[in-house]
Amino acid sequence: MEAPPVTMMPVTGGTVNMMEYLLQGSVLDQSLESLLHRLRGLCDNMEPETFLDHEMVFLLKGQQASPFVLRARRSIDKSSMPWHLRYLGQPEIGDKNRHALVRNCVDIATSDNLTDFLVEMGFRMDHEFVAKGHMFRKGIMKIVVYKIFRILMPGNTDNIEPLSLSYLVELNVVAPAGQDVVSDEMRNFAEQLKPLVHLEKIDPKRLM
Amino acid sequence: MGMAGEVPVAEGKSVQQTVEMLTRKLELLGAEKQGTFCVDCETYHTAASTMGQTGKLMYVMHNSEYPLSCFALFENGPCLIADAYFDTLMVKLKGFFQNAKANKIESRGTRYQYCDFLVKVGTVTMGPSARGISVEVEYCPCVIANDCWNLLMEFMQSFMGNHAPGVPSVFGTKHDSIYSPADTMVQYMELFNKIRKQQQVPVAGIR
Repeated sequence: MEAPPVTMMPVTGGTVNMMEYLLQGSVLDQSLESLLHRLRGLCDNMEPETFLDHEMVFLLKGQQASPFVLRARRSIDKSSMPWHLRYLGQPEIGDKNRHALVRNCVDIATSDNLTDFLVEMGFRMDHEFVAKGHMFRKGIMKIVVYKIFRILMPGNTDNIEPLSLSYLVELNVVAPAGQDVVSDEMRNFAEQLKPLVHLEKIDPKRLM
Repeated sequence: MGMAGEVPVAEGKSVQQTVEMLTRKLELLGAEKQGTFCVDCETYHTAASTMGQTGKLMYVMHNSEYPLSCFALFENGPCLIADAYFDTLMVKLKGFFQNAKANKIESRGTRYQYCDFLVKVGTVTMGPSARGISVEVEYCPCVIANDCWNLLMEFMQSFMGNHAPGVPSVFGTKHDSIYSPADTMVQYMELFNKIRKQQQVPVAGIR
């Protein structure tokens, strides 16, 4: 029952800005197995990890033109895991030579009353979906291959239907700001996945 | 499980002297000093720019007993337990939630262990001034309030005398459910709010 050894003072979240570096692509359902096979070969040797997550996107409207967006994610199959709250900033307008999309991110693990708390703060749920897929790791890079499912009745994650006939593939790294060498490593890895999947920098704004 | 209460400053004595009286009683009982503790609480209010909000107060608290966590709560509302990055998120939200810096209140003091009890006696300060004393007593082996409430009360009376507090409101509806650190933080929030509303502790005159 000794005093916690970490420090005497509570640790407050530092001012280190973490950035997410992202490359995305997609594969049709029929190509999934060959992609998984290639990833198993290229990535770190670990037990194949699948996930089934439920993500809810919350908005807080203010007088500013654009609302504040927060993403709350929970695991449906591993219900003892903490909930994951994520903030993603605007993509950085860097030089065109930068290979990956870079944006500020804050990831917070929380207790399971997250949605009640967000509503109390004034957030309202904008949309939700279920993501089911596979996760791989290579060093600090994380590769996820997943399918997005539409939820037919709000709050009921058993009644879902696939949104498309393809799988979304994402390669991402969360690292402190200023580590541009990360995007070079990502590009090199992405080269190894061609021609099965073409991972590229996709600016969400251009899709709107 | 534990509870936090306030000890009023003794007549004619300063906050520091009352804290010393309490800690001396604990040491005579046989409690061992085990480091220090700190519980702090910051207040945020919803900025005018947030639409449809009726000015709510949100408290973000830290407790050195859980150094990697951050507790965020609303009065009579849910208490969220998050990791330390929640503070970074509050910085991003500053357009919607303003930090009332003058309202920051904290309790710092010594941590004592007496057999299965953990006692923390702290001086509650707001800015530069000492505003009161907090005493937190935790009975570590038990997590159900109903099972050890009487034992806690008896122990508190042994060194706090008549100042031992009554049943905290968090136990109101949940006598038989498992106690959690969030319940401790709610008690601290209520304690801090009570102290904030009180008059400033008069400084003892020179006699």
